[in-house]
Amino acid sequence: MKFWELAKRNLKETYRDPLALGFLLAFPLLFMVLFGAIFSGDTISSYPIGVIDDDDTPLSQAFVDDTLADVPTLEVANYDDAVTAMKDLKFGDLKAYIVIPQGFGEQVSQSWEGKETNITLDITYDESDLMLSEQIISIINAVTRSFARIEIPVTINANPIHIETEITFIDYMGPGIIIFGLLILIPTSARIMVSDKEKGFMSRLLTTPARPLDFISGYSLCLVVIAIIQIIIFIAAARGFGMDIVGNLWLAFLIFLLTGLCSIGIGMVVASLSKSENQAEPLCWLFSMPLAILSGVWFSIEMLPSYLRAAAYAFPYAHAIDASRAILTRGVGLEAISNDFLFLIGWAIAIFAIGVILFRRSMRS
Amino acid sequence: MTSHRMEPARVKDDTFAIQTYQLTKIFNSVVAVDGIELNIKKGELFALLGPNGAGKTTAINMLCCLLKPTSGTATVMGYDINHQPFKIKEIIGVSPQETAISEHLNAQENLNLIGKIHGISSRELKIRSQRLLETMGLTGRVKDQVRKFSGGMKRRLNVMMALIHNPEVLFLDEPTLGLDPQARRAIWEYIVQLKGEKTILLTTHYMDEADFLADRIGIMDEGKIVALGTSTELKTSMLEKHTMIVHALNLTQKGIDEMRSRYAEVEVTNGTITVTDKQLDFKEIVDRLHSSGAVVRSAHTKEPSLDDVFLHITGKELRE
Repeated sequence: MKFWELAKRNLKETYRDPLALGFLLAFPLLFMVLFGAIFSGDTISSYPIGVIDDDDTPLSQAFVDDTLADVPTLEVANYDDAVTAMKDLKFGDLKAYIVIPQGFGEQVSQSWEGKETNITLDITYDESDLMLSEQIISIINAVTRSFARIEIPVTINANPIHIETEITFIDYMGPGIIIFGLLILIPTSARIMVSDKEKGFMSRLLTTPARPLDFISGYSLCLVVIAIIQIIIFIAAARGFGMDIVGNLWLAFLIFLLTGLCSIGIGMVVASLSKSENQAEPLCWLFSMPLAILSGVWFSIEMLPSYLRAAAYAFPYAHAIDASRAILTRGVGLEAISNDFLFLIGWAIAIFAIGVILFRRSMRS
Repeated sequence: MTSHRMEPARVKDDTFAIQTYQLTKIFNSVVAVDGIELNIKKGELFALLGPNGAGKTTAINMLCCLLKPTSGTATVMGYDINHQPFKIKEIIGVSPQETAISEHLNAQENLNLIGKIHGISSRELKIRSQRLLETMGLTGRVKDQVRKFSGGMKRRLNVMMALIHNPEVLFLDEPTLGLDPQARRAIWEYIVQLKGEKTILLTTHYMDEADFLADRIGIMDEGKIVALGTSTELKTSMLEKHTMIVHALNLTQKGIDEMRSRYAEVEVTNGTITVTDKQLDFKEIVDRLHSSGAVVRSAHTKEPSLDDVFLHITGKELRE
C-alpha cells in the first residue's frame, strides 16, 4: 500500500496549503461563474427563421407547426419559395431559412419504426454571424434529431417533444464549459508532481522502494479527489445558471470523471517528461489550449475541416463533450454513447500506462 | 573455439558494504565521475571530500540508484546498482543535499511516510520516531508543520528521515551544508553515535567535518579519487615537506646563515624563523639556535591540514 501512503501525503500537502487549495477550487468556480453569466438566461432574443415545406405531409407540418414553433428561441415564418426567403435573409429579416425536402415525413416515420433513415434539412443562414448561426444550427439539429428519434410510433398530433423545445444556450454550452474546466486539470496535475521534483522531495522518495506504479497512482488518487470536487462545483454552478439536466446525472458524472482521469494522465505524462515547473507549465498549456479549441468547448466541431475534426476525435475531450451533451440535454442512455464511453476508458488506461512507462524511465537518468 | 569477453575480475568480499568498479558518469560529454574505484568496509564511516562540482553528489546518486552509470558499476551490500536497484533501496537511507522534506506535513508525518513506504508497522514507527525525535531534540515541535522549522531543524529531520527505517547503509550528502557551528555540532554528535553500527558514506566540502567524523577520507577532484586514507595518513604521508616555526630573541646573522646552509628553506621575519625541509628534527633545530646565541621563546611544528593535502595534490584550495 505504498501508493496509499503517497496519496495521503499528497492530499495533506494540498489541503494544508490554503493558497493552492484556493486556486484549485476558486479558479474553476470563477470561470464557471464568468461563463455561466455570459451564456445563461433567457436574454437571447428569438431568432426569426423561415421554413419552406416542400414535403407538405402531416408529419412535416407537425414538425413545423408544433415542434419548431414551440422552440422559444425561434420565431418561425412559413415561406412558399426559396427566392422570397433568400430576399428576406439578405435584408436581415431572417437569420436563416430551412427547406424541408420531399420525403421528410416518410423518412421520419421510418425512423420511428426503427429503420435506417437519412433525414436531411437544408439550412441557409447568414454566415457572417458565426455564434448565431452556430446556435441556430445546433438548435434545429437537436430538435430534428429528437423529433425523428422518437422510439414508439405515435400519432402526429400526440407528439409532445418537450426536451429540445427548452434547449437554451447554457444547456448547449454547459457541458463544453465543464470539459474546459477538466482540461485545466492537466497543468494542475503536472504541477503537483513537478514541484516535488523541483524541491528534491521526489529524489528522496525515489531512494525508497516505491515503484513507478505507486508514484503514478499515489499522485493521481489525490488528483481524482480534486477532480471530483471540481466536477461537483461545475455541475452545481451550471445548474445554478439554469442548465437543465434531462438525462442521468450519474452517467454524466461518470463521463466527466473519465475526462478528468484523462487530464490527470496527460498531466502525469508531462510531469514525467519535465524537470521543473518552468518546463511543465508551458508544455501543459500547449496541450490544453489547442485541445480546448479543437474539441468544441466553445462551438460545435461540425464546422471544422475533416482533418481537424479527426484530430479532435483522437483526444478524449470531443468525445466527452458529445457524450455529456447527449446525456444532459437529450437524456440519452449509456447505449447511445457507448462508443464515446469506451473510447474514454481506453484512452484513460492508455495514457496512464504511458505515464507509468515514462515515469519508470525518468526514475533513473 | 569462441572467445568470450571477460569482465574484469572482481574481488567480492563480504567485509565490504560498498564497492565500485570503474564507476563513471558522463553528462553531455562532461565527465562528472571518472572511473572511481572504492571499497568501503561494513561499519565504516567514509567521507568523500572535495570542492563543489567534484562529482561527490553524482557518485552518491549512482550508489542510491537515482542515476544510471554511463559505464562501470557498483555493489551495495552485494547488490548490483545496475540490476538490483529495488533491493538496494530497501536497505539504504539517504539524506539528500537539499532538505527534502514535505513542507506541509509535521515531523512525525514526514517520518511516518518514509517508514510506511518501507513497510514498518505504525506501532514500531511510533517507538522509533519518538527515540529519534528525542535524540535530535525535536520532541517539542513534533506537531508543527515543518515549513515553520529553522534551517538546522530541517536538516536534522532530513537526516532522521534517512534513519527511520533502520537502514544498513546510510548516505549523507553534505549533511551540515549552510548550518551555523552549533547546529553542525549537533548533527556531528549524532553521526558519531552511529559510527560502527552502520556503514556511512558522507560527502562534504568542509575539511573539519571529514577530519572529525570519518574513519577514512577519499579526496575527490574533477570526478576522480585523488587521495585515499585516514586523516592522519593523508596529512603525514602525502606531504613531502615539514615546517617548523620558532620564535626567538637575539637571532644572529651567523646563526641564520648556518641554518640556511643546512635546511632547504629558511625564512626570517621579526624574530620568527620558519624552517622547511623533507626531514626536520625538532630538538636539533632548537639546539642549533641555542648554540648560535639565540634565546628560543617558543617552537612548534606546523601540522599539515587537509586543505594543505588538497592543495598539494590538486594545486587548488578547498573552498570552505
